[in-house]
Amino acid sequence: MASSSQFKQLEKLGNGTYATVYKGLNKTTGVYVALKEVKLDSEEGTPSTAVREISLMKELKHENIVRLYDVIHTENKLTLVFEFMDNDLKKYMDSRMVGNTPYGFEMSLVKYFEWQLLQGVAFCHENRILHRDLKPQNLLINNKGQLKLGDFGLARAFGIPVNTFSSEVVTLWYRAPDVLMGSRTYSTSIDIWSCGCILAEMITGRPLFPGTNDEEQLKLIFETMGTPTERTWPEISTLPKYNPQLPQHLPQDLGALLQSQTREKIDSTLVDLLYGLLQPNPERRLSAKQALNHPWFAEYYQ
Amino acid sequence: MCDAKAVKVLFKSPVTDDMIRFLTNTTLRVIPCDREQKNAYPSPPSSPRDTQPHKRSLPSLMTFISRLVRYTNVYTSTLLTATCYLHKLQRILPRDAHGLPSTSHRIFLACLILSAKFHNDSSPQNRHWAEYTDGVFCLEDVNLMERQLLQLLDWDVRVGEEDLYESLQPLLEPIKLDLQRSRKVMARNYYHQRNISASSSTSTLVGTPSLQSLKSVPSWSRLPSLSRLSSSSSLSTTLETLPDKMALGPRGHSPHDYNAVAMV
Repeated sequence: MASSSQFKQLEKLGNGTYATVYKGLNKTTGVYVALKEVKLDSEEGTPSTAVREISLMKELKHENIVRLYDVIHTENKLTLVFEFMDNDLKKYMDSRMVGNTPYGFEMSLVKYFEWQLLQGVAFCHENRILHRDLKPQNLLINNKGQLKLGDFGLARAFGIPVNTFSSEVVTLWYRAPDVLMGSRTYSTSIDIWSCGCILAEMITGRPLFPGTNDEEQLKLIFETMGTPTERTWPEISTLPKYNPQLPQHLPQDLGALLQSQTREKIDSTLVDLLYGLLQPNPERRLSAKQALNHPWFAEYYQ
Repeated sequence: MCDAKAVKVLFKSPVTDDMIRFLTNTTLRVIPCDREQKNAYPSPPSSPRDTQPHKRSLPSLMTFISRLVRYTNVYTSTLLTATCYLHKLQRILPRDAHGLPSTSHRIFLACLILSAKFHNDSSPQNRHWAEYTDGVFCLEDVNLMERQLLQLLDWDVRVGEEDLYESLQPLLEPIKLDLQRSRKVMARNYYHQRNISASSSTSTLVGTPSLQSLKSVPSWSRLPSLSRLSSSSSLSTTLETLPDKMALGPRGHSPHDYNAVAMV
């Protein structure tokens, strides 16, 4: 068990959902770390987010998941010692804007990042963990082009018959339509939808569905992907917030839509993968393993 | 497979006295604790300035657990999953570890709090947990016991299916027996229906409670050939579509139990 005197606190890196993150230096090893400081409120006790994040991440050792090295727990402060990463995907995308014009990544980089994202997600799902907050801010990158999943504050274990899954999860722009309609029985497909949104965002540099509230978010999704019907999504009417009077939209050509926002070539295998990840019906969405075996990634597994 | 089904049935049923007794006994086995009334040397009452008026005398562990259950309306799954932490703790603590009279109360409450925080998306704050103890523990006590348990468990509060099956075995066994028996009843009704067709209505099948106590069922050995039927896939589908309340366990008796049996 480490003590806080072992680390030198350097500059502030940002504010997480329930904590402040600093760059730190391990004085004995000379290695940089990220120190996530959680202020403890005595009325709440140890926050449930911290209980889950630490318990789940401690054993989650994978090259595409940020490593949790240690935990320092005192009466009024909890410090999580993480592997240090240079940047996050959101800041990296912002840094590539020219004036106010966003630019997507070169297709080879898009593919490499999405591949690593799906590897990390597949490992979580194999270990029966849902991340539930995948978005560019929570994907950390380093100068070697590695991408790792971070911030497991909303993560949950699944697979044993425990109750109360909240539908108030995932940042709005990356939230799946079934969750927007109040589903509490979601599983791994909740993370796959986010992976689809992130893939499109890396291509164009713009968020795919930038809604401002739940209704608008669903509207944006259905305008592009088409309004689901009982035929394409038989269980849709059983969802708590299902609206039978949804305006009917026909699916748009997603490939053409993205092509108008990038100079990179959008080929048909990429469009096919996007449709697999962005199926409104969660039953029809690809699994992380299936997505990794998609022909678009052929160059990595051949 | 059978364990998984039994856990589902168990978690869907309301909290029973049997469960509270089971939790009490499991907690008492974690660490031997002094009993207040069995002090070896009589000691004088504490000085007046030491008395803490807000602290009530320690109730029995069973009373303590019953009150927590009543005040919090905790889910059966959250409550019973705490058993996995109790078992883990029992394995971790040194054999010669010894507790104060309140230690088992602390251990149980800390395990329940962690179970609630880990398994539910919304759970009570420690301030509320302190209130639910009826003045036995204050907020500082609760925060301390939670922190100590996290350190003892080294923050590993994950629970796997196998942990559940192992920890809850005594509660799962009777349900598994009932499930097996109800499969046979299903099989028998199915067989009966196929052979007598229209004379036995579907409502009889649906109305057959899936669980009965052993004593209400006459010797099954008379019907050895029927056990083969229970593996048929159409039967297991029927079983799954039955309403939950039919699978409540040995308590779920109804007058129909005998009807089903009498049909043979």
